[in-house]
Amino acid sequence: MNKTTIIATLFIAVMGIFPFLVDSAWLSIGITFLVFSVVAFSQDIILGRAGIFNMGHAIFFGIGAYTTAILNVHFGLEIIQTIPFAIIIPVIISILLAAPIIHLRGDYLLVATIGFNIIFEQVLSNDPFGLTGGPNGIFGIDVVRIFGYELFSETAIYYIAFSLLLVTLLVIRNLDNSKYGRALYYINKDEIAAKSMGINISYYKLFAFALGAAIAGVAGSVFAIQYSAVSPESFNFMQSVMFFAIVLVGGSASLPGVIIGTFVMFVLPELFTEFKESRYLIFGAAMVLTMILRPNGVWPATFGNIPTFLKKKAATSKGEEQ
Amino acid sequence: MDIFLQQLINGLTIGSLYALVALGYTMVYGVMKLINFAHGDLVAFSAYVGLTIFSQFFGASANSLFNVIIIFLLTALVVAFVGVLLERLAYRPLRTAPRLSAVVSALGASLVIQNAIMLIWGPNMKIFPSDLLPNTTWQLGGVVLTFTQILILILSAILMAALYVFINKTKIGTAIRATAIDQDAAKLMGINVNRIIMIIFIVGSSLGAIGGLFIGIYYRGLTFDMGWLYGLNAFIAAIIGGIGNIPGAMLGGLLLGLFNAMISGYISTEWAETFTFILLIIILILRPTGILGEKTAEKV
Repeated sequence: MNKTTIIATLFIAVMGIFPFLVDSAWLSIGITFLVFSVVAFSQDIILGRAGIFNMGHAIFFGIGAYTTAILNVHFGLEIIQTIPFAIIIPVIISILLAAPIIHLRGDYLLVATIGFNIIFEQVLSNDPFGLTGGPNGIFGIDVVRIFGYELFSETAIYYIAFSLLLVTLLVIRNLDNSKYGRALYYINKDEIAAKSMGINISYYKLFAFALGAAIAGVAGSVFAIQYSAVSPESFNFMQSVMFFAIVLVGGSASLPGVIIGTFVMFVLPELFTEFKESRYLIFGAAMVLTMILRPNGVWPATFGNIPTFLKKKAATSKGEEQ
Repeated sequence: MDIFLQQLINGLTIGSLYALVALGYTMVYGVMKLINFAHGDLVAFSAYVGLTIFSQFFGASANSLFNVIIIFLLTALVVAFVGVLLERLAYRPLRTAPRLSAVVSALGASLVIQNAIMLIWGPNMKIFPSDLLPNTTWQLGGVVLTFTQILILILSAILMAALYVFINKTKIGTAIRATAIDQDAAKLMGINVNRIIMIIFIVGSSLGAIGGLFIGIYYRGLTFDMGWLYGLNAFIAAIIGGIGNIPGAMLGGLLLGLFNAMISGYISTEWAETFTFILLIIILILRPTGILGEKTAEKV
């Protein structure tokens, strides 16, 4: 067992027994942390792994949440029945939105995705066909029922979110070891080289978008269950900026990095409510400072790079030869 | 027809403001290849600074032309200083870092400025006094033209012409254009790139400050987070014209202002932003380098 495995096991174990250690206020912070870390991981697939400058990730999170809310409140589906839709609809929309713009260069793509997010906000607030409830959103989402059991307690929701995180981690592990993961990695490292090796760039980028959207969609569904309500401001463009920043401040394509990023951006503000007024000022300054001190994030990924101890060895053996 | 002419005037006015702000984005992008997300917040900041200078020093006294000029100059000075400080603290240390690090730094800087405004002036809306400029209006047929609108149109035209001459006819302007094309080559020619970037931030922030003050005078309501709205619109203007291209930013600003005014006048105000961004996305798909931008091959 190496150090990473021990830390990961410890983290999962602590998160697994967390509901028995804390009171209900902390429990709801725990759920928030789990849901947002899942969204951050899904953003990391698009931004960190595929290197696509996506600054509209809250769209997919929001579509998932609204799908569950609309199907449950307006069409009377059980929560559990809405979840497949909360996966499929974000996937379809992500492909429809991304396909025409996927070839754009970094900054242009970033601006286009900001544009999509602002359009999304405006669609939600303008209440098309009376479905989204306008600026107030949708209230009164049902509780989860499985085989007649009602999972309404916070602990039950916590474990739903926790299992979602575990599934997400599993998906990411399998992605990293697959042909798709390697293709994304090469596209991120050097797009032109990847293209000349015969990798179909648009196809893999769309795949990254679709996978990220699917995961964010389920996370949105859990978010809707936790608050039994959805409203546009949870999925606005600033939220996307946050997800974008989490991945880069934590360290892109790095699991501990994304966890740290989520903790810093979503959990710390819950703890320091007395700094409510100035907390975003402190955040902004911390974002600038982190980038200056650690341009690759707090805990950058080392996958694919030569570890430093090997580099030293290589250098010294070269020195001995001369 | 009257509605059309009225919206034409309104559109050109807003468009000139977008253009003034867009110049700051386009100059920074041209030289540093960085979206300066904090620029919109600097624009909001300048409206607040202008308001404070006005109420602190000129509140009761008569609003002579001289006083107004002083307010504009002082605001531009303060905001230019903050712009230079921003570059020194948040962007210069990251000039050799991965590009996304600089983007995050810019987002962080934007949060800092936005929340500093909130902490200094409070979270509630501030109202700009209506008597800073004369409230004269003219009726031309069915169209109403205010003194503020005429001043905005004339002054922004003068500023943009001056900037055009500065960039194309002076020695510093040549150095700026050279730095935009190739920083390393510019360095080899003896150009002090740090100084050029500082000048860009001074000029860009001053123009943004004048734009921000006019936004305050024209719309009157100020909120601490208004920077993103005007900033994004100005940034879209810069992209429409071709980012990095100074006449492009001016043209893009005017076109976007007209487009917004026509959408609000004829179609819907609730969906106005949506139309703006649909326009942006269509332009990005059809011609990513903008109307006046040149097609450049990707460097390998």
